[in-house]
Amino acid sequence: MTRLTIDGVEVEVAPGTTVLQAARAAGRDIPTLCFDERLAPFGACRVCLVGVQDAPGPIASCTTACREGMVVDTQAPAARRVAGAVVELVLSELAAPPAEHTELAAVARQFGVGEPRWPGAVHPEREDLRHPYLAFQHGLCISCGRCVRACDEIQGAFALTATGRGFTANVAAGIDAGFRESACVSCGACADTCPTDAIAEVSLLALAESATI
Amino acid sequence: MMSANLVELTRRRGAASTPTAVELLASAVAERGALTDEDIRAVAARTGLPEAAVHGVATFYDDLRAPRGARHVRVCTGTACFAATAGTHVEALAEGLGVAPGERTADGGLSLAETVCLGFCHSSPAIRDGETIDAGPGVLQRVLAGAATSAPEPPARSILPVPVLTEPGDWSGFRRAVTLRSSGDLLAEVREADLRGRGGAGFPAGRKWEFAATVPAERRYVVANGDEGDPGSYIDKHLMERSPALLLEGMALAGYAIGASEGFVLVRSEYPASRPALEAAAREARAAGLLGTDILGSGFDFDVTVVESAGSYVVGEETALLACLEGLRGTVSARPPFPAEHGLFGMPTVVNNVETLCSVPYIAQHGAGAYRALSPGESAGSKLVCFNERFARPGVVEVPFGIRVRELCDEVAGGLADGGGLKAVQIGGPLGGILPAGLLDTPFDFAPLAAEGCMVGHGSIIGFDEATDMRELARHLLRFGADESCGKCFPCRIGLERAHAMVAADAPVDRERLEALLETLELGSLCAHGGGMPAPIRSLIAHFPQELGLA
Ligand SMILES: Cc1cc2nc3c(=O)[nH]c(=O)nc-3n(C[C@H](O)[C@H](O)[C@H](O)COP(=O)(O)O)c2cc1C
Ligand code: SF4
Ligand code: SF4
Ligand code: FES
Repeated sequence: MTRLTIDGVEVEVAPGTTVLQAARAAGRDIPTLCFDERLAPFGACRVCLVGVQDAPGPIASCTTACREGMVVDTQAPAARRVAGAVVELVLSELAAPPAEHTELAAVARQFGVGEPRWPGAVHPEREDLRHPYLAFQHGLCISCGRCVRACDEIQGAFALTATGRGFTANVAAGIDAGFRESACVSCGACADTCPTDAIAEVSLLALAESATI
Repeated sequence: MMSANLVELTRRRGAASTPTAVELLASAVAERGALTDEDIRAVAARTGLPEAAVHGVATFYDDLRAPRGARHVRVCTGTACFAATAGTHVEALAEGLGVAPGERTADGGLSLAETVCLGFCHSSPAIRDGETIDAGPGVLQRVLAGAATSAPEPPARSILPVPVLTEPGDWSGFRRAVTLRSSGDLLAEVREADLRGRGGAGFPAGRKWEFAATVPAERRYVVANGDEGDPGSYIDKHLMERSPALLLEGMALAGYAIGASEGFVLVRSEYPASRPALEAAAREARAAGLLGTDILGSGFDFDVTVVESAGSYVVGEETALLACLEGLRGTVSARPPFPAEHGLFGMPTVVNNVETLCSVPYIAQHGAGAYRALSPGESAGSKLVCFNERFARPGVVEVPFGIRVRELCDEVAGGLADGGGLKAVQIGGPLGGILPAGLLDTPFDFAPLAAEGCMVGHGSIIGFDEATDMRELARHLLRFGADESCGKCFPCRIGLERAHAMVAADAPVDRERLEALLETLELGSLCAHGGGMPAPIRSLIAHFPQELGLA
């Protein structure tokens, strides 16, 4: 077993446990965006940053394994400041605020993110409604990679891919000809994990829309 | 963006899959000008990769994204060419050719693409017209007249009493090691030599090798990082093209030390001459019995495969490099696991910079003590540096650590060509800080440069003359940073776009907001691209606040 301290409390975890898993098991809340416990950790969003004693800077708790004697501070000021700034950046890349019920909106509320300090280009709106029950609003995609990984790791269909790079990164089904022309088996794993409703089940989307009206 | 499963899928296919999906797509573009869905399907079928994954690859690399006309012109937008023309050559070329960068004429006859660093920084600006790379005075006129001529390669010399890295290899260090010494002995020698990685991070090579050698595994690999993406750098280009045998010897030594029998060199496509040079040297070595099976009767097998990338700076980062070798998108993966433990096709892999590996034959031949003694300074061995066209005597030069930057600029490179004063230098690539003229007495070594917010990096030295507009330089660097971001982690993907927008805007730059953004990049990014891009901007804030237009 590995012993460490999280926010002043000593905990014991099995070797290989990540700091995020250990903290959550200890009842500490660390917000995340690219993490889904069903998928291998990815380390892309950096919202899970925490402070570790004697480390040169904040570390991503989702991809860091616990080490014996580690002293973790989930509220370390630099980690919170940077993670909050990242959420602010994410909101700034969307043309409109995310729907209230989404994971992204919940994380933004947790950080109390207000008017973004760095406004600028937003992702162009592009809606793909060719599939009977999977709707893809590319403009809402924050490139967290959860859908791609869910499709690969849960379903094994390999129907999705990240596309582009830098700010223009996005996601496509197959050769970007929609879900139906791809290896998609309509399992809905992507929609289920998407934190922004960029990919959503059409019925749920309609429900969510009627709820906000 | 890779999932654990996709990586496993490529790994199950094993090492037998060259050409890679990236190379197959690149050949399709070269032949037919642009990729069709049919090309994607064909490459997927041939490589066993999912169609979606191949589509993802096709949208990642520069060479696969830009359409090509019958005549394809590539203009360098690297920092050395910026230092020479402030970027005016790009506009002038686009105007003269009548086609915008990234576009192809309607009749398909002509296309223009921007490319970051053709490795002719000794003779900027540089333009590649078809297969011809032309550079220096008159290049624009020649290309516009359809009369491009091959630019001369840079001179190379050593200021050490006996040159180490500027002489072509002769395999003597390898012959000695493989016939007379155990692999453990060689590994210990490399450790003792204090050889630090030359790719930028300065990690001790011996420690990395030891780690890879001791992880239990059925196979191990040696990978030479020949991506040399730093704009302004043409050191590895020189080594790969003019001393290819030295690199192969260094790789074979690494293979012998860690117990690997396969090596790969990943070469950037911006260096069209590198791959043929390495392949010719490998053929010669095979013919001489220096690569292959049971080399020199030692029972040691080793061979090398050369793979080409397709235009991406971040592919130089080691986890992205391995993804590119596997034919995938060149995005970064979180470490640990480090490649030395879990690298190419999931096996322990030593990834070393080309120059690092080229330093090993000398250590094998002359020993750790002789190697350490090459520099009087703090760090061991010698270092190749290269200078941009602004200097009177640009070229590749082997120097000892500890020499002052002023001596490098004024004496070794002869000062600026126009006799004017230097305003500042950027050392070691785009992630390196900028040293203003007033700090040129800083010694060229890891610790003293770090104390000024700068780094040895890969060793390029770009001099900026008094006419350089520092806000324009900040804009140029952030444009590069944003364009090249692999897009995986959020701070870099969005933050560099925003930082560029702040500096490019026709308005004063709000210092507090800029610094908060830089902190987010530095502390939040997954790799040293987003983490390092703030370094030169911080230097400019510290040394040229007025010019930056801070408010
Ligand atoms: C954005 C980025 C670009 C890099 N580009 C290169 C490169 O072009 N060549 C290189 O050798 N190392 C490059 N590196 C460093 C590699 O990740 C790695 O540290 C290096 O290849 C290890 O070899 P070394 O220890 O011999 O230096 C880059 C790193 C980053 C973060
Ligand atoms: S579609 Fe949703 S799950 Fe997929 S990368 Fe975009 S935001 Fe993430
Ligand atoms: S810092 Fe930039 S280049 Fe590095 S992983 Fe993040 S997005 Fe990719
Ligand atoms: S949850 Fe750790 S980086 Fe996204």
